Amino acid sequence: MNSHEDRQKTGLVFNVQKYSVHDGPGIRTIVFLKGCPLSCRWCSNPESQRHRPELAYNPGRCLTLNKCVRCLEVCMRNALIRKEDASLRIAREHCEGCHMPCADACPANSLLVYGRERSVDDVLAVVEQDEAFYARSSGGLTVSGGEPLFQGNFVTALLREARRRRYRTAVETCGMASAALVREVAPLLNYVLFDIKIMDSAAHKAQTGFANEQILKNFSILAEEFSDLPLMARTPVIPGFNDTAEAIAAIASFIAPYPRVTYELLPYHRLGTQKYHFLDRTPPMGNVTLDKNRMPRLQSVAEGILRARVQNLQQPKTPSS
Amino acid sequence: MYETTCECVSPQEQRLYDAIAGREDRFRKSHSRVFRLLERFEGQKPRIDIERALYFTQSMRETEGQPLVLRWARALRHIAQNITVYVQEDQLLLGRAGCDGRYGILYPELDGDFLDIAVRELPARATSPAVITPEDAKRVVEEIAPYWKGKTYHEALNAALPPEVHKLTYDDPQGLISRFIVNETSSFRSSIQWVHDYEKILKRGFNGIKREAEEKLAALDPLSPKDICEKKPFLEAVVIVCDAIVLWAGRHAVLARKMAAKETDPARRAELLRMAENAEHVPGEPARDFHEACQSQWFTQMFSRLEQKTGTTISNGRMDQYFYPYYKQGISNGSLTDGQAIELLECMWVGMAEFIDMYISPTGGAFNEGYAHWEAVTVGGQTPDGRDAANDLTHLILKSKREFPLHYPDLAARIHSRAPERYLWDVAETIKYGSGFPKLINDEEVVPLYVSKGATFEEALDYAVSGCTEARMPNRDTYTSGGAYVNFAAAVEMVLRNGRMKKYGDLVLGVETGDPRDFQTWDEFWNAYVQQHILFLKTAFVQQHIIIALRARHFAQPMGSAMHDLCMKHCIDLHQPRIPDGIDLGYFEYIGLGTVVDSLAAVKKLVFEEKKLTMAQLVAAIDADFEGHEDVRALLRSAPCYGNNDSHADAIGRAIDKISLEYANKYSMKDLGMHNDVRYVPFTSHVPFGKVVSATPNGRAEWFPLSDGTSASHGADVNGPTAVMLSNYNTKNMGMRDRAARMVNIKFTPKCLEGDQGTEKLVSFIRTFCDLKLWHVQFNVISRDTLLAAQKDPQKYRNLIVRIAGYSAYFVDLSPDLQNDLIARTEHGVL
Repeated sequence: MNSHEDRQKTGLVFNVQKYSVHDGPGIRTIVFLKGCPLSCRWCSNPESQRHRPELAYNPGRCLTLNKCVRCLEVCMRNALIRKEDASLRIAREHCEGCHMPCADACPANSLLVYGRERSVDDVLAVVEQDEAFYARSSGGLTVSGGEPLFQGNFVTALLREARRRRYRTAVETCGMASAALVREVAPLLNYVLFDIKIMDSAAHKAQTGFANEQILKNFSILAEEFSDLPLMARTPVIPGFNDTAEAIAAIASFIAPYPRVTYELLPYHRLGTQKYHFLDRTPPMGNVTLDKNRMPRLQSVAEGILRARVQNLQQPKTPSS
Repeated sequence: MYETTCECVSPQEQRLYDAIAGREDRFRKSHSRVFRLLERFEGQKPRIDIERALYFTQSMRETEGQPLVLRWARALRHIAQNITVYVQEDQLLLGRAGCDGRYGILYPELDGDFLDIAVRELPARATSPAVITPEDAKRVVEEIAPYWKGKTYHEALNAALPPEVHKLTYDDPQGLISRFIVNETSSFRSSIQWVHDYEKILKRGFNGIKREAEEKLAALDPLSPKDICEKKPFLEAVVIVCDAIVLWAGRHAVLARKMAAKETDPARRAELLRMAENAEHVPGEPARDFHEACQSQWFTQMFSRLEQKTGTTISNGRMDQYFYPYYKQGISNGSLTDGQAIELLECMWVGMAEFIDMYISPTGGAFNEGYAHWEAVTVGGQTPDGRDAANDLTHLILKSKREFPLHYPDLAARIHSRAPERYLWDVAETIKYGSGFPKLINDEEVVPLYVSKGATFEEALDYAVSGCTEARMPNRDTYTSGGAYVNFAAAVEMVLRNGRMKKYGDLVLGVETGDPRDFQTWDEFWNAYVQQHILFLKTAFVQQHIIIALRARHFAQPMGSAMHDLCMKHCIDLHQPRIPDGIDLGYFEYIGLGTVVDSLAAVKKLVFEEKKLTMAQLVAAIDADFEGHEDVRALLRSAPCYGNNDSHADAIGRAIDKISLEYANKYSMKDLGMHNDVRYVPFTSHVPFGKVVSATPNGRAEWFPLSDGTSASHGADVNGPTAVMLSNYNTKNMGMRDRAARMVNIKFTPKCLEGDQGTEKLVSFIRTFCDLKLWHVQFNVISRDTLLAAQKDPQKYRNLIVRIAGYSAYFVDLSPDLQNDLIARTEHGVL
């Protein structure tokens, strides 16, 4: 694929975020692609899951119909219903296939569309803006989602073109993709953040919709076949799912044989709850919260296992290395 | 994308929580002397000490008709002979300009004509209040103020401004109330910021300078009228002030010896005797060790505060450079430890903290809220031959900043492209402490710019930060009057109201550019703005022309001149407008850049390009302060904004900047004989300026603060801190030399900078700031919750320090308006 073709490719992007400092080395820009094969109950980005544009409504920003009726004026499908408090209810069944002019008309960003079709060129023009910061921090572009590999053609075109422009690239992946695609994308990357949620495949299936064999296989491919590629495994610690020493120990033991893989635990948070409501969906986790006191304990379990690995590694190497 | 949600606070916040919980400060043990010193005045409202004003006035009354520079020198001698001298318990340094505790002094030569009114109002005013005893207030009213009626600089300026300039400057015939449009600042400070060449005093002493003056006196042509009328009085004045400061120091020595004789504690007695010995030797003679160097600098600094009120207190210069030889000598011969060096520096910080730079006029007070102070200590940067200058003392000063629990001194770190990693880490760690220090100034912008303005590389590379964001070359720069602060948001309002402002009714203040509803194109609107803009510039420059001539007749600075190479060479006082070879680096301030750019960008896009809004709708919404037009306001706010690296908005910002630069380029040197460059530093003026501007097309409600410096409008920067920096860069005209400082505020949450990784990212952020050649940046590292809590419970949070505008202040000392302004600045957190 030549540069010209790659640059014209389009994909469904729902956000581009500058100055990200916790998702890969340095100062980075994250491009969020829409659509994910998994449907994790704890997902903090519900707007990322479906591979199509979605209309969201944030009543907190709405000026109310007492003060502004710009959305009503453009809706041709009677999908916007006045509630008693003069805010809106969206009759979503009427919105199917609509290009959602109401969001364009809304001055307050209360109605908005998650997911716009954007070209590689367009996305990289935004990424390019922070180039001065990447140069000094060894940062660059991180593609996230959703699942970035879910839009395989687009993500390869995006990464290939980014590499042509000498950006350092990373992905944040749930690992659910074909092995072929993983092998195609890996050479285009400088860094991978890879989620491993739980080793118990049945539990994995129950909570995310899929078993984990393919995911673990992809992880092994990256760790074994692309041993120069820095790989970080990450586990979101979810109450009632994997917040036990056993679950974390199992993951750490799985990673331990790969000496260059780093590992990080991320405590569950509920910052995405509001977005479920914007989409008229119910957060599957309800009000469950994580007992924060568990984190240090789990951290030390993981560290214990991985430290043993470092000690093993410190045995003398052959002179040729 | 997952986020860790654990709470993270800055060390400053932790320290506050510890204090609230009654735990001992963890630095108390290692800094016990300064903690004791601090506790004596913590939380005190400053007291006005009238001695300086009293003795100054007494002397000036006696010397009428003599050359001004001589009168000033004699007044200083009179002060040196009579002002009370103090030896404070626990202090290791001698010399202060007024009473024990937090204090301010008066400069009636500036504002004596309304001093009587001001002292009555001062204790109760909302911004920077102060107390004065009834007896002292009486003496001000009866002995000081009456002499100055009809003689102050302020009255002369008020009378000299032509009517069309006056009406944009003042709101009343007496010139006591600012119009807050083209605001003059020269009447609440006799010069803009200044730095002395302290190194000269450490090396030669005032006796050395006095000898030079005497030699020059002896060499004057006894038949030359110029030598007799101009040079002779100048040189005599220099001799008088050199003697005056030595005399003043000597009085301290006498007192310290007296106290030593009575002292029962042998350790303290030894300290007092050492202090007395120091004061017998410096600042007359060269300093011989670190303690003497500190004492010499401190006497010089405090005496110069008695001499004059500059735009800010006189700054401290490159302290890590001129003190370094004395520090190094002490460390290598074993006579000094790091602990002792820090203690001496911190004794100095305490002395700075006790001195409050009072602004008596209501406008001065509103511009410098929270007892503003800029005694900037500069660290880092490059040597005059362009090598990195950081040394062990640099790191010691940064360390002291993290451990000393007070926002003094103002600390500035110079950054250059080859700054070592260790230095930048130390700077970043200090920023993370969270009280706003140090501010960063960029060599890669300042040095080439100063060379282009006429400095040599050596001079430019040796600049010292001065005041809020300025850079001074102490032997090449010359004094410059305070320039105009110009409210360009008012220019936008005048376009919408045909040369008028809602606040001032039917009075035509600007250009009558016509009814905006008749404008058919963006160009018409833009041209109307440009006309208002140029009128403001013209007003500011006419003001400056008058100020330059007046200032020289009202102020002299014999001590500051004695320390300046060019003044000594040419025997001219620093206040005179023309000093051969001098470089006059003045400026005027563009206030409200974000507000103006966002307003124009909204009009351009929504009214003329996308036609989502008619001008009639816009005008109606603004007239109603958006009441009943909330949808229009929301639409306006959705338009492109400055601070987001948005090319639509930033192109307007650059065009605006260019109008100012071109005007300055054309009329500065030719008409004013000085650089009157374009600067973007508001102090706290964006708050009072906002109070005269009605609703603006960026959706800002009427009377709300304008945007500050080159920061984005409140909450408009939604693309993170990199975009704020880039917008700043995008709006600069790098090809023109008539630019001056730009101030940028960035607020980070502590979480964003957590751990070594956070420090590393802050370091790369700073390096990129350097690459982008931005002049200045400063950081607030604090969580919004802490600010809100402090607003609710000021007693508990009285030690909370925040960054304002080139200086830091106690949050609880700020007016509610400014507190809200700070809270509303966008916080860049974890994304």
